[in-house]
Amino acid sequence: MNRGPTTLAEDVADSGGEAALAVKDLNFYYGDHHALHDITMDFPARQVTAMIGPSGCGKSTLLRIFNRMYDLYPGQRATGEVMFDGVNILENTVGLDVLRARIGMVFQKPTPFPMSIYDNIAFGVRLHERLSRAEMDERVQDVLTRVALWSEVRDRLKAPASGLSGGQQQRLCIARSIATRPEVILLDEPTSALDPISTARIEELLDELKEEFTIAIVTHNMQQAARCADRVAFFYMGGLIEVDTADRIFTNPRQKQTQDYITGRFG
Amino acid sequence: MSMAPVPRSSKRQLGLDVLFHALFWASALLVLLILGGLIVLMATGGWKALTTFGLSFFDQSSWNPVKDRYGALAPLLGTVLSTVIALLLAIPLAFGTAFWLTNIASARLAAVIGTAVQLLAAVPSIIFGMWGFFTIVPLVARYVQPFVNHHFRHAFILGPLLKGPPIGTGVMTSGIVLAVMIAPFITAVMCDVFGAVPPMLRESAYGLGATRWEVMRKIIAPWSRNGMIGAIVLGMGRALGETMAVTFVIGNVTSVGWSLFAPRSTVASLIALQFPESPAGSLRLSSLMALGFTLMLLSCASLVVARCLRGRRQ
Repeated sequence: MNRGPTTLAEDVADSGGEAALAVKDLNFYYGDHHALHDITMDFPARQVTAMIGPSGCGKSTLLRIFNRMYDLYPGQRATGEVMFDGVNILENTVGLDVLRARIGMVFQKPTPFPMSIYDNIAFGVRLHERLSRAEMDERVQDVLTRVALWSEVRDRLKAPASGLSGGQQQRLCIARSIATRPEVILLDEPTSALDPISTARIEELLDELKEEFTIAIVTHNMQQAARCADRVAFFYMGGLIEVDTADRIFTNPRQKQTQDYITGRFG
Repeated sequence: MSMAPVPRSSKRQLGLDVLFHALFWASALLVLLILGGLIVLMATGGWKALTTFGLSFFDQSSWNPVKDRYGALAPLLGTVLSTVIALLLAIPLAFGTAFWLTNIASARLAAVIGTAVQLLAAVPSIIFGMWGFFTIVPLVARYVQPFVNHHFRHAFILGPLLKGPPIGTGVMTSGIVLAVMIAPFITAVMCDVFGAVPPMLRESAYGLGATRWEVMRKIIAPWSRNGMIGAIVLGMGRALGETMAVTFVIGNVTSVGWSLFAPRSTVASLIALQFPESPAGSLRLSSLMALGFTLMLLSCASLVVARCLRGRRQ
């Protein structure tokens, strides 16, 4: 959590790094409602990109495009381009099961499945890989260790996941999503249902996870964006107003609307 | 600082409070009173038959008003078999429809079909009876029975189960009509159950790359297990006690046998048909009351089993 703001800021502002997700001219519709307008932005690999903006601005909508979650709901559609590993994921030829294994998602509230802690992790892995018992044990231990949950649950892996605390459940959900070895993790306000201590632990976790994963996080909490994100995108009424390094957005944004939002004048 | 005196409730308010308190207690006690009254009435009404025949009332297959000998085996078997067939047919149908409505169909289509399901669930059973009589009975007589008679007559186990005169009536037909009757009912309840699965839970599973089938089997089904059992028990209760629809299509013969296609009777249909011609105080009337008492016990037993199934989960 203690990175040098200036050096990193320059570093990121210059290159942005290679893009894990490249969004171009993206539009999204809920039936007749035009929810996102011509979004173009990159999500640099192995960085945390935060999306902020008032409720209904489209930031969660954008997140749900990246794993094609909107496909579950008839009437929702996207046009434009989202390049991921050389493929436009909006195309119908994309295999959703593989895409969703490579782009994981964590939700506003912890969503443990009605099964044991162990099976919560194994569920996603079993969908895509055939592992021996020992390999699966190893995978479960590995991801639980990485979310700092192993020491807390190692003695009760067979117990129902619903018995964990809210913060533990959310870390379990993160572990579950990294267990399928994705490249990108989408987090939709992952700490909005958690107490401050659990929130801090999740934020620390993000800092470690970005060594390996590209992270896109939607948050209502601007301090959180300032603490965790390398880059911040500000959305307003379905449009991308501004995207830049976190330091730039929070100290010297280019747009007046961004300035107004981060200083609490609306939102 | 002096505190303002706490205002006292007026006498009128206190009086109303006592009145409502008494009313609520009375309505709660009324439930017990009605249940107890029913049990006592059926038990005392059936006492004469139960003491005359003893336990043989339950394994005696003849129901013979001429000899004044009555046994419950035939109608009980008819009731249980019709209900089992109805459930076997209705559960998959209801499960599939409910899952489609809540997880696959577009909102507009789900609204149309969902309303149709609810309308079907609200159709009075006598309508299903007439429909069964005019549609299912001839269909079974003309197509199903000749087919199974031709192909399975000598089949092991199946043969005796499926043979019978091609009349179209019997527990199979009544099971089919009951299935059509209770399936919308079970579907409607299951829709509520599936609808109660948090969308985020479903999306989490989809988000890991699960297919609809995997989400249904591994997430939604276990999550909704108790609710589904509840829905099935409600449907079963209706099937067990259904009178009119069954009376139309079961043939109303008090006989015992393996064939699913021979005319039979159920507890409810037998009571409905024979009640008007049974003189007060007769052994026949008492036997009918004993039958009713048995049906009540059967329903209670199914409720208890459902409770146990649900309880084991928690």
